[in-house]
Amino acid sequence: MSSHREAPAISKDPVADNTDVYAFVSPDDPSTVTIIANYLPLEAPFGGPNFFEFGPDVRYRINIDNDGNGDADITYEFAFQTQVANPNSFLYNTGPIDSIDSPNWNRKQFYSVTRISRGRREVLAANLPCPPCNVGVLSTPNYDTLAAQAVHSIGGGRTVFAGQRLEGFYVDLGSIFDLGNLRPFENLHIGSLAAAAGVNGTNDFSVHSIALKVPKQDLTRHGVNPTDPMSPGSVIGVWASASRQAAVVHDGYWSNEHQAGGWLQVSRLGNPLFNEVLVGMGFKDRWNALPPAADKQFLNGVQRPELASLLPVLYPGVFPNLANYKKPRADLVAILLTGIPAGIVPGFQNFTGNVQADMLRLNLAIPPASNPNALGILGGDLAGFPNGRRVFDDVVSVELRAIAGAMIPLVDKSFTPDGAASLLTDGLHQTSTRYLSQFPYLGTPQGGYQTAPLGAL
Amino acid sequence: MSDSTRRGFVKSSAAAAAGVTVVGALIADQADAHAAAASGPIVAYIREPRTGEISVMAGERQVKLHDRKIAARIARAAR
Repeated sequence: MSSHREAPAISKDPVADNTDVYAFVSPDDPSTVTIIANYLPLEAPFGGPNFFEFGPDVRYRINIDNDGNGDADITYEFAFQTQVANPNSFLYNTGPIDSIDSPNWNRKQFYSVTRISRGRREVLAANLPCPPCNVGVLSTPNYDTLAAQAVHSIGGGRTVFAGQRLEGFYVDLGSIFDLGNLRPFENLHIGSLAAAAGVNGTNDFSVHSIALKVPKQDLTRHGVNPTDPMSPGSVIGVWASASRQAAVVHDGYWSNEHQAGGWLQVSRLGNPLFNEVLVGMGFKDRWNALPPAADKQFLNGVQRPELASLLPVLYPGVFPNLANYKKPRADLVAILLTGIPAGIVPGFQNFTGNVQADMLRLNLAIPPASNPNALGILGGDLAGFPNGRRVFDDVVSVELRAIAGAMIPLVDKSFTPDGAASLLTDGLHQTSTRYLSQFPYLGTPQGGYQTAPLGAL
Repeated sequence: MSDSTRRGFVKSSAAAAAGVTVVGALIADQADAHAAAASGPIVAYIREPRTGEISVMAGERQVKLHDRKIAARIARAAR
């Protein structure tokens, strides 16, 4: 998936597992940028009695590079604490939770937001309440009201939310991980099954989101509001991360765990699917510990992606041109590691320089689309992925098509993509899940009582 | 430490005989008055005893101490 359980170590640590990152000019407030970092993959809505929550022992970060060197120039850090009202009760709630300060809610979370720039730490807000998880019709009878109470204005034109949201990333996990047997094209696959409709593997699962809306000036190098799409200063790099302290000792005394030492990064995410698809199994944990500035060492996986060599094998006769293309993939390097230079897509660039770093690159001078296309730039919509990423962007189809060679002609006119390259999809669309039209944009999580467990097809 | 994951850190410390120990008294033998005055648990990590390098962690602080004698004493105790 985008980055759910994408590496061996972090798959065992869901509380710190950064699953998706979104960055886009807010469609309903275009003087601002919204950045969303998701954690805790595949939350089953009925997963009580200890429902999902952020880790008090984790430092969550949203990072901004505004000078193209792949290191953070601005960081927003989120630190959580948990308060248990009645430790003698085993219950998450002892009655209906009708407000986020309800005494019926036994296990509340609060957090602080700290902005770090040039070594200076500024606490923007503290003790901000999270909403509860959506337990069910009796426990959280008006969930949208609870969630709205957890949207906080924290001064300086900044707005923040941290809590459970409906998964916005849609993907047919079952088909992709079953030897790339994409359901719409199963009849062309070596497995020779009948073609079927795509199945959203994340349907009705939730995640925990940290959503931040800030004025554009909060992010740019010189504190300006960019208006020229072709100016290098209009582009920022965005990624999120999670860190844990160096040591954990289980000493069996009170809380069972004692943490100590400096904070070490254990998860990061910029472009969707980068670590998942382009980094080898033996290097994924290391990738998670490094900053984007170190990504040059993963260049080979981008220039020669394993999946591009597998597609012609899995789908015999469908990708002959891709099979014969032996050059390093400069198109993928541009999309994922440097940004797209000027002169390739008319009226657009999100180039950040020659430092190869996996970041979402957002051109802040591109206004929100009045009629968005979930295929983003591939669909002629300059406001979508890989110009940042909106919550509904169909990044699976875009990246499948890019891997299959659909964007090679942008950098190599001698190549003609196979006909199938522009058709690849996992059979899903943005209607496969639900979104909000306003902050925090990701949809209302499904209630536990209202959700049935997974069933067979 | 910059290239280390926490898991690698913990895993290697658990696997190595020279591993992690909670050693308030031991550190206090050698450390300066400031370190001895620290409150709360202290974790010391020795990645390779021969170097004498000890990572000392308390709260969010993490400092490196170079002391071959202490490192050797802990290594002997661990075997």
